[in-house]
Amino acid sequence: MSPTVRVTADNETCVTSSLCVYRVPEVFDQDEEGRVVVLDSRPSADLLTELHRARRSCPTRSIHVEVEEAPET
Amino acid sequence: MSSSCPVSYPFPWAETPDIPHDWRTMREQSLLHVTLPSGDPAVLVTRYRDVRKLFADERLSRNTARYPTSRISANNDLFGDPEIDNDPPRYLEERSVVMRAFSARRIEALRPIVQQIAEELMDAMEAGPRPAELMEAFAFPLPILVICHMLGVPPRDRQKFRRLIDGFLSVSALSDEEVEECRTGLWTYLGELIEHKHADLGDDLISELIRVSAEDPEKLTPYQLQHWVKTLLIAGYVTTASQIGTSIAVLLHRTSVADELKKDLGLVPSAVEELLRFQIMGTSLGSLRYALEDIELLDGTVIPKGSTVMLSVESNMDDTVFENPCTLDIRRQDNHHMTFGAGIHFCAGAALARMELQVATEGLLKRFPGLRLAVPGEELARPQGGFLAGYARIPVAW
Repeated sequence: MSPTVRVTADNETCVTSSLCVYRVPEVFDQDEEGRVVVLDSRPSADLLTELHRARRSCPTRSIHVEVEEAPET
Repeated sequence: MSSSCPVSYPFPWAETPDIPHDWRTMREQSLLHVTLPSGDPAVLVTRYRDVRKLFADERLSRNTARYPTSRISANNDLFGDPEIDNDPPRYLEERSVVMRAFSARRIEALRPIVQQIAEELMDAMEAGPRPAELMEAFAFPLPILVICHMLGVPPRDRQKFRRLIDGFLSVSALSDEEVEECRTGLWTYLGELIEHKHADLGDDLISELIRVSAEDPEKLTPYQLQHWVKTLLIAGYVTTASQIGTSIAVLLHRTSVADELKKDLGLVPSAVEELLRFQIMGTSLGSLRYALEDIELLDGTVIPKGSTVMLSVESNMDDTVFENPCTLDIRRQDNHHMTFGAGIHFCAGAALARMELQVATEGLLKRFPGLRLAVPGEELARPQGGFLAGYARIPVAW
């Protein structure tokens, strides 16, 4: 089983770099003010590499990606 | 480089479109004592991890005009303005008014307009003499016409404000009187422009700011409004024009890389990013800050309280972060360069600049597959005494 991914973003500290929206448009968008909006807080684990890139590129470290490994069966 | 003996900053440029020598060696010390063009002292934070961390550190104030900060230029205050509060919370309130115009959706809506402008400029280039001069034929007019469109500034004014902005950005090129004349002239021009707009509001950014200011003058006073228009107009074209020019020069100087890119234009976005990392037109002067307290770097070195501090854009060459940093790798991933800064002052126009660079690079390579430098890279001249140092002229043929 693939791991569970949780994505959160702090729109209070967002400075509208738009980097996350360009990087992972399936997960990130912006509101009317240009601040980050998470469209899908439990995206597919296939997006993990790109999600981590979006997290690292955020100029104010406003994106958080948590990974919960699936329990072994 | 010795830490005890201050070195002149900015460092000398390389003779070819390449990374300057000092950018490669400066990280031996985490903090370098430098002398600014004014003769005043400053310290340069050299290592990427320190730079990135300090961009988010509120002990470094951006209110350089309110503290006894070293001057960049002996006769020009440049961006310093004691009436403008560049620190949070005030700065963030003002910035949020402007930033809505720079969301990905708004920038992407502009892309076809930018493409149209680029096509028209390339039509004129194609019909004109060869070699063409890329700065005047393309690199300057493209971002100027785009920012005019975005702000709602009449394009016919561009000769006028360009001269004033060149003077505004003089570090040592002009006399005291000339600098003062340009600074006053630019402020007056912007005041008249805004007044004119009041009577005829449109859907441009200046009109939007006027509406916000009229609704809630506390949120954006008329002075702050004018200051933001000034900042957006200057930042909107000088930096982008210099970067378009140096990007193309760096690329064409490396014919095999240019050929690789021509073969796969899908690489344009990562190539643009790499050319931004590899930028050789700017310096760290734009990052000037004032240390409100002692600040310790990761290796224990302390920036003393009261220092004038620059956060190094040259940290784009930090080999503990970027593999083979002095190699131009247009396929590079995880390219989190410091060209646009980081933290709350992250370049407001970054997404716009990136989009313009993509349109410009792809457009030129598509239209002129044989595009090449018409002089050797060693002969490209840089402008003297200005805030930015892209190339003054870039003769190209095809």
